[in-house]
Amino acid sequence: MAGRASLIAIALILAALFGVAFANSSSPGDFGITLLSGLFQGMLLFLVASGLSIVFGLMDVLNLAQGSYFMVGAYVAYDAQHAGGVIDLTSVLPDPNLRFIGAVLAAIAVGALLGYLLERGLLRPLYSRPIFQLVLTFGVSLVALELVKFIWTTTPYSWTELFGVRESFFELFGQRFSTYRLFVVGMGIALIVAIGLLLQRSRIGIIIRAGVEDREMVQALGINVRAVFTLVFTLGCAIAAFGGAVAAPFLGASTTLGNIFLLQAIAVVVLGGMGSYSGTAVGSVLVGLAIAVAQDTAIGTAFAALPSITPMLLLVLVLLVRPSGLFGKS
Amino acid sequence: MQSLTPSSRGGWLRGYWLPALLLVFLILFPFIVGALTESSPFGVARGDRMVMRGESVRWQSVLIEVYILAILAMSYNLLFGFTGVISFGHALFFGTAGYVLGLLLEYTALETGVALALGVLAAIAVCGALGLLIGFVTLRLKGVYFAIFTLAVAEMFFIFFGRWQLTRAEDGFAITDLPVWLDPSQSRISFYYVALALAVLTFLFIRRLVNSPTGAVFKAIRENEDRAQSMGYNTLNYKLLSITIAGMLAGVAGILQVILNKKVGPELLGVSYTVDPLLMTIIGGIGTFSGPVIGASGLHFLDVFLRDAELVIAGITIDIANIWALLLGVIFILVVIVFPFGIIGTWQRRRATRKQRAVTTGHPPSA
Amino acid sequence: MSSILEVRDIHTFIGQFHILEGVSVSVTTGGITVLLGRNGAGKTTTLRSIIGLTPPARGSIHFDGKPIQGRQSHNIAQLGIGYVPEHRAIFRSLSVRENLQLAERRSGDFARKADFIFDLFPDLKRLIELPGGNLSGGQQQMLAVARALVPENRLLLIDEPSEGLAPVIIEQLIAAIQRLSSQVSVLLVEQNFRVASKLAQSYVIIDEGHSVAAGAMADLVQDKALIQRYLGVA
Ligand SMILES: Nc1ncnc2c1ncn2[C@@H]1O[C@H](COP(=O)(O)OP(=O)(O)O)[C@@H](O)[C@H]1O
Ligand SMILES: [Mg+2]
Repeated sequence: MAGRASLIAIALILAALFGVAFANSSSPGDFGITLLSGLFQGMLLFLVASGLSIVFGLMDVLNLAQGSYFMVGAYVAYDAQHAGGVIDLTSVLPDPNLRFIGAVLAAIAVGALLGYLLERGLLRPLYSRPIFQLVLTFGVSLVALELVKFIWTTTPYSWTELFGVRESFFELFGQRFSTYRLFVVGMGIALIVAIGLLLQRSRIGIIIRAGVEDREMVQALGINVRAVFTLVFTLGCAIAAFGGAVAAPFLGASTTLGNIFLLQAIAVVVLGGMGSYSGTAVGSVLVGLAIAVAQDTAIGTAFAALPSITPMLLLVLVLLVRPSGLFGKS
Repeated sequence: MQSLTPSSRGGWLRGYWLPALLLVFLILFPFIVGALTESSPFGVARGDRMVMRGESVRWQSVLIEVYILAILAMSYNLLFGFTGVISFGHALFFGTAGYVLGLLLEYTALETGVALALGVLAAIAVCGALGLLIGFVTLRLKGVYFAIFTLAVAEMFFIFFGRWQLTRAEDGFAITDLPVWLDPSQSRISFYYVALALAVLTFLFIRRLVNSPTGAVFKAIRENEDRAQSMGYNTLNYKLLSITIAGMLAGVAGILQVILNKKVGPELLGVSYTVDPLLMTIIGGIGTFSGPVIGASGLHFLDVFLRDAELVIAGITIDIANIWALLLGVIFILVVIVFPFGIIGTWQRRRATRKQRAVTTGHPPSA
Repeated sequence: MSSILEVRDIHTFIGQFHILEGVSVSVTTGGITVLLGRNGAGKTTTLRSIIGLTPPARGSIHFDGKPIQGRQSHNIAQLGIGYVPEHRAIFRSLSVRENLQLAERRSGDFARKADFIFDLFPDLKRLIELPGGNLSGGQQQMLAVARALVPENRLLLIDEPSEGLAPVIIEQLIAAIQRLSSQVSVLLVEQNFRVASKLAQSYVIIDEGHSVAAGAMADLVQDKALIQRYLGVA
């Protein structure tokens, strides 16, 4: 658990973010928009970072291809939703809302399959050479990027199909809020809780937590740790692809998504404390809010690059105070 | 104890005649190409100026690029191959050096020669300091922190310089002010020799360093840092030293690149200058002296030759240029899995086992 | 007498290092065999070779007459071998209950064995919801042994259980292991010669990666020269 210093650090960061957000906004509605946007980005980050964090904790593998799964998820969802492309669902699922569900499921399936193949086919031979695993996942991220360029070209796609879920709004404090964003935030929170419960209550959760401490001993108790690795890795990749799919209606699909989200997710995981699940959840929200606040602040100023370097700035700040991250063990 | 990569002994293909021959060949190279293609190694005279035209001059450029990449890869190998510290942001040093030099040359009122000298010194110093700083912040923690931090800082610099109006953001700026003897568009052959000399010096320097007592500690850290620590070495200081030197050498490569292209831009900080040295080191042979050089020249020549080639599969024509990065990535993954010690490393291991087999029977299972 | 475990002339490498250079051990069914030897002799590595954590490169290991060398650790454990590592390697962040549940091989293992385990180590019942890291050294050792009792094991590999524990606790542990041995066979590593001689019926001495002597414990107790030579205790 986090010590008092970490809790104070979290409270201070939140207070600072809220303070700046409040100073920037002219009305409660404005403030609410920033908040929702921050939570939305935080949840997207969590979807990439959770897999990164659990896989690192359990397997000591920092999967530098995790961002690629997010990117691939976005492309698959885009492709499945819109007419033409590799997967064309328009005739099978004419209703755009239903088709969106199909698109998200397709992205999850592709993410899971690619994750499974990566772990079983490429990482497994390298467990005795951890540094090469890092190098390998880096190589996979390059190949994934090139494959995406090959299949979908380098031109970014922006989501053009307007449909119910994506376009509905609700009003509060005289501002229009996107229902879809709220929905993603809700789903993200549900997922945080679900994964937390899985880790705390289920047998597989006990195995994962035990494996984080001492893999060999788990194996010596008669548990097939490698099979658990495969499962966890596959799940992590599927969740990242899911993140890409639900982000696509807002962010579209582009080749830069992978790197952006990988770097931000890494910032989240390190800031939260490598291998700590609660740290990753809290870190995601903090970084998401920080980006949203930075976006508001940077509009119309010379600091156009501010939002993109905000996660790293926050990370450096936290590491100066706590070198092993908010929830990390010294 | 047998070290992981039996590189330090044996060295270049038995004795020194081969490297000596190679060096002579590289020194004569502009003239050999010139003689073969009937072109002047000095370019074509037009009035009182020399214009850089012709096969010899063109091939000098290709080799200069090889020397630059080789220096970058050797610097990467010092860090990753010999000290066991992995960086995912080597472009940071490469590009930062370029910007520092460019800023001094183009944005100060100093006289060209002074600006150049100051720029080179400042660029190298800044790279060293940057390495030291990142190392200092991250190296006490697990190894991945350094890798992550270099990745993150490189990306931050990339974004920053891509948007900084002073250095003309994404477009970058041109270097107009260079002494004639160093200017590749006025006297390429002298710049060719500068780059060759620096590449050779880097090679000799790294070999000297790695074979020194300091280098022995680097290798001990790579094999098992805890053990090195328990032997009484302050491993943090040695890793910082390795990073500082590697950062400065990568800076040298960046300086040469800026002079060659006479241009500074954010692409110098882009991911490809991190990927290239990593790839070249791994394919050539990590933790060997000649591996990065072989990797750099092999990959760059392939790139040059294949850039305009086409591949016809089942009636579909594919430009190699379009899938070059994809091919590289696939080769990279295959090498990591199948030949983790690269071309030179695998060859050296084969030789070592053959020798060992001749001496003893009963082998440890391969690690 | 039949033996449940037959280790014949195994050679084990860790990285480049040849750690075991010919170790043979036999454990009789229903008995306690003790592995003796100086620090660094290779006792732990022998246990780890049997359970498959450092697989031997040569030699054979038979459990119940079937060869098990070269199989993966979890497969070996599932045959009915429990491993109690040195330094009380319990999971510190898991509660006592979770530590025990983790060891289940079929669901309900823990429920079936709970009475037996709490009878043997009454302390654990009281501590059941505490994180393993909060337990005292003796309690952690008991948890480590208890964990190996959750599934139906026929052989326990126990590595230096008495190390660093107070005499009272050691007595408790001796009593517990003695009671256990009516149900499972035990291969025990024990530096404390008094404890070893109290518990075991037979012994194997390991020195510098070789098994150098074996026989009945009763004979070893008499053989002061042998003890002096390999164990350095009189
Ligand atoms: N991971 C390792 N790397 C190198 N040597 C090791 C390793 N583990 C154990 N050893 C060596 O193997 C020998 C036997 O160790 P061990 O089996 O733990 O001895 P024991 O349990 O009898 O004290 C020791 O000399 C030890 O130094
Ligand atoms: Mg031991």
